[in-house]
Amino acid sequence: MPEPLLRVENLRVEFKTDDGLVQAVNDVSFDLFPGETLGIVGESGSGKSVTNLAIMGLVPRPPGRVVAGRALYHGKDLLQLPERELSDLRGKKIAMIFQDPMTALNPFLTIAEQLTEVTQLHLGYSHQQAISHAITMLEKVGIPGAAQRLWDYPHQFSGGMQQRVMIAMALSCKPDILIADEPTTALDVTIQAQILELLRNLQTELNMSVILITHDLGVVAQVCHRVIVMYAGRIVEEATANSLFADPRHPYTLGLMQSAPRLDHARAERLHAIEGQPPDMTQLPAGCAFAPRCPFAVEESWHQQPPLAGRPGGGRLACFVDITKAPRKAAR
Amino acid sequence: MLWYLVKRIIWMAGTLWVVFTLTWFLMRAVPGGPFDAEKKIPEEIRRNIEARYKLDQPLHVQYLDNLAHVIRLDFGPSFKLLDYPVNRVIAEGFPVSASLGVFAMIFALTLGLTAGVASAIGRRTAYDYGFMALATVGVAVPNFVLASLAIVLFVFYLGWFPAAGWGTLRQIALPAICLGAPFAGYIARLTRTGMLEVLGQDYIRTAYAKGLRHRRVIVRHALRGAILPVVSYLGPAVAAILTGSIVIERIFALPGLGIHFIEAATQRDYTLAMGMVLVYTFLLFVMNTLVDLSYGLIDPRVKLK
Repeated sequence: MPEPLLRVENLRVEFKTDDGLVQAVNDVSFDLFPGETLGIVGESGSGKSVTNLAIMGLVPRPPGRVVAGRALYHGKDLLQLPERELSDLRGKKIAMIFQDPMTALNPFLTIAEQLTEVTQLHLGYSHQQAISHAITMLEKVGIPGAAQRLWDYPHQFSGGMQQRVMIAMALSCKPDILIADEPTTALDVTIQAQILELLRNLQTELNMSVILITHDLGVVAQVCHRVIVMYAGRIVEEATANSLFADPRHPYTLGLMQSAPRLDHARAERLHAIEGQPPDMTQLPAGCAFAPRCPFAVEESWHQQPPLAGRPGGGRLACFVDITKAPRKAAR
Repeated sequence: MLWYLVKRIIWMAGTLWVVFTLTWFLMRAVPGGPFDAEKKIPEEIRRNIEARYKLDQPLHVQYLDNLAHVIRLDFGPSFKLLDYPVNRVIAEGFPVSASLGVFAMIFALTLGLTAGVASAIGRRTAYDYGFMALATVGVAVPNFVLASLAIVLFVFYLGWFPAAGWGTLRQIALPAICLGAPFAGYIARLTRTGMLEVLGQDYIRTAYAKGLRHRRVIVRHALRGAILPVVSYLGPAVAAILTGSIVIERIFALPGLGIHFIEAATQRDYTLAMGMVLVYTFLLFVMNTLVDLSYGLIDPRVKLK
């Protein structure tokens, strides 16, 4: 096993809300290895975005607060780093792209202004160097007429092109780690495929590690080597993409897969839905947070937090039940 | 852009004509004329005066005659300030009122923007509460109260400023601050709100994710969006400063236009009143056009047509 590039240990993030304290991220640990694409999957509010904002030191504070944990990168704990040192890493070694490129780019500044400030800041480029580097980056992400488009404003680009600009901006300093927070969610399907393809190619070319946050299993299947499934702020299952898709072990993962349409299944077959609602994050149950929706829940699930332990077939799993053998309860 | 300006100028001409017409008839609809006095003047003299100012002619002739002169930018003689053409009254008073207004605006913008940005960045700190309390007081206290208090404190107790007069910077300071204070308060609140809204935007998070430092994020990425509400407020603010300066000029005995505005109306000085109204309308129009133009400069998504 190679050395992990980034090691997150026991991360805990809380949010103060009007309804009470929310444990947005609860005891999350994972490794990111050089050159891999790690998918983090979960529904809204599962803590997948907050986990990564915490790594970047971007949890809005207040109301959010990183309560515990470490994020080790080259021997330094990102969570303890002074703001100054952390901002030296941000955009240079660890870059991030966001869900909605329309709002993630500053509408008041030209693409040139937004692209050049990163390299001028981190790499000490002159204005001229920064401009020509920006043109190279825009060409690399496939923007035609880059030398002219550089002087346009974000609203003059389509959504897909804006996301390409975001990627060009994020990769300007050749970062070690790219965190992509739902990069294709706001785009239509054909553009999605292009952006994913682009990300995959650039990852190989620059040999960087990517954390891809998504709720879309199709996206995971296309690009990820390894997958973490999160539910209610905790990791419930982690495995290589192949193993996870072939043999899901957590009832929630299984539910997610059964609720996604598949081309190789008969059309007449109805999609399954996961029963019930996502949990109220201010009042999590004492046991497994998925128990109220789980068709396999056993007595223990209601009282005890299942430990995240070894998973048959490799990886980690937090469930008391072996769902390949256990009986499935009838839907309520 | 050029087409936009042409359109604005045509609009302005129309607006000025409507204002001219309304003012003209309103002034004449008000009971009493410029030459009515407690003591009746002899009939022949009255007739002579009316002939001199062409008041003996039918209304529509007077109206057209006045309009023709005004179009040539000749407002005619003042009815009350003898031998003083309205144009000269304006030429002498305008620089005073204009510099008072400009100084007040500079004061309001400097203080308001600084306090607003500081409040937004230090949200829910002592700074924030202090500035916003001050801003509320500034907006709520009418300027004649503020001016009176300021005169008592700074002129009589501390002796820092002269009470009246015009010409030196020390003489401008106090009236300009009193005139600008409510606007400083309002601008501070607008800036704070605008800044807080912008700071919650995704592109600010992007800026931090790029590794930019706090100061640079605020100045380069947040400020432009945050001052948009302030810019659109500048149009109405200028209108309010114009009317506010009427009171302030009175209190500080400044030789500006404000006094003429009131006197002309109460004394039925038809020509002077007309001159005042048209000058103020023109100023407002110019300011609003400037605001629109600067909007287009600040926000690239705004296209002027």
